Amino acid sequence: MDKAIVIENLSKTYKNNRGIQDINLEIERGEIFGFLGPNGAGKSTAMKIMVGLMKADKGDVLINGYSITKDYEQAMKGVGSIIENVVPFSYLTAYDNMRLSGRFNAQVDEARIDRCLEITGLIKNKNEKIKNYSLGMKQRLGIAMAILSNPNILILDEPFNGLDIQGMVEMRELIISLAEQHNTTFFISSHLIHDIELTCSKVGILYSGRLLGVDSTQNILKNYSSLENYYLSEVDLNGDS
Amino acid sequence: METLKVVYINEIFKISKKKKFIMALAFSLFSVIAAAIAVYYLNNFAGIRITSSSDFSIMVLSVLSYTLFPLFIAFIGIDMFAGEFVDQTIKLTLICPAPRFKVFLGKVLAIASFIMANLMFVMILSFVVSIFISTSMPNLLKILLAYIMEFFPLFVFALVVVLISNIAKGTSSAFMFIIFIFLVFNGLGLIFPYFKSLLFTSTFDWYNLFLGSYINLSKILRTFLILLGYSIMLFAAGYYLFEKKDI
Repeated sequence: MDKAIVIENLSKTYKNNRGIQDINLEIERGEIFGFLGPNGAGKSTAMKIMVGLMKADKGDVLINGYSITKDYEQAMKGVGSIIENVVPFSYLTAYDNMRLSGRFNAQVDEARIDRCLEITGLIKNKNEKIKNYSLGMKQRLGIAMAILSNPNILILDEPFNGLDIQGMVEMRELIISLAEQHNTTFFISSHLIHDIELTCSKVGILYSGRLLGVDSTQNILKNYSSLENYYLSEVDLNGDS
Repeated sequence: METLKVVYINEIFKISKKKKFIMALAFSLFSVIAAAIAVYYLNNFAGIRITSSSDFSIMVLSVLSYTLFPLFIAFIGIDMFAGEFVDQTIKLTLICPAPRFKVFLGKVLAIASFIMANLMFVMILSFVVSIFISTSMPNLLKILLAYIMEFFPLFVFALVVVLISNIAKGTSSAFMFIIFIFLVFNGLGLIFPYFKSLLFTSTFDWYNLFLGSYINLSKILRTFLILLGYSIMLFAAGYYLFEKKDI
């Protein structure tokens, strides 16, 4: 099958000795991959390296076949992302912030910006400055910016953060529909086990910077009563080794 | 090239939407008008001849080169680097499909455009004002040359701001550090006049080399090469730090 994302021996150690160690992972095109782990497990570190916000000590990430260290521009061309909290420029409007991202893709026009703001429920607040936005609205704007250029890969770090229940349900539906209709690949991190179980087709458990196990949600739910049980069993078996 | 163009347009767009940009224009306008009123009053009522019409624009340039121009450059440069790192908005720029070198270069080019725009704004304003406060016509070519030449030392100063903005942890510390460097370099020029020509702050009035009746080409070339050397070193050091930064 066509590999959308390949992570090879990815390692990064901080001064406090935390970080990630030798992560190897392959994500097929069209998959919704859930990166599950407690706070501080290294999920954001891995994702920051994937989008070039951080440099790895060792290893590489191939996105659509392009290395992010050697050919960053090509690798990121078909990628949309949200990393940790979304921080748009507060002195600009939502529309202006969208234009900043949209200029990198010639196909993004005003209609596309409006469509993305409509999908995320922000069309009414399009011309409002970000300094007046709530946390949830900023998160929605981040999602709108991530899907703006019709990316074939979406890397979303804690995308459900700051969203209310309605927002979470809409976000889940959006992810599943994009994967089904456009074969979009998702790499999602979350510590919300329920959302991962409901959204993702494949799950990887990250614990103390190490990838403990990767399996399809279908297989996991065949062998365990819930994703939570699988997670606890993996952590019990391999967590402290 | 297309990516660099997009980064540059985005940076220019962001600068144009900042209150500091409006402030820079307003203060430039205010300072030129205040200088014109003072010169007009002294020329006509106090019996003191301060400047001729061409000299008014040069006088404004010589005052603003050591005051408002560096101040505005510091504000804008700090905002574009240290400011964006502190409030994390830099993430939005860095996750776009643009390598860091193009992001860095786009930002530096945007600051350079801001410097040129500010210089041209003040030049046009002071030129228009000088027509009203004097009976003779100002020498536009001479004024234009002086303002264009002033771009180079101000650009070197902007690269100092960029470098410090990539070293400092916050915007306030970056600003204080820049003021410190600016004062130290000016102070060193006074204490060690023999080394003055090696300090970039001593080139802030180098346009005078073009304005006299005798043009010393070798001195102009030497000063230009010193500025070029500063630019290359500061650009390389600034980019090195920018590239290495983890968010």
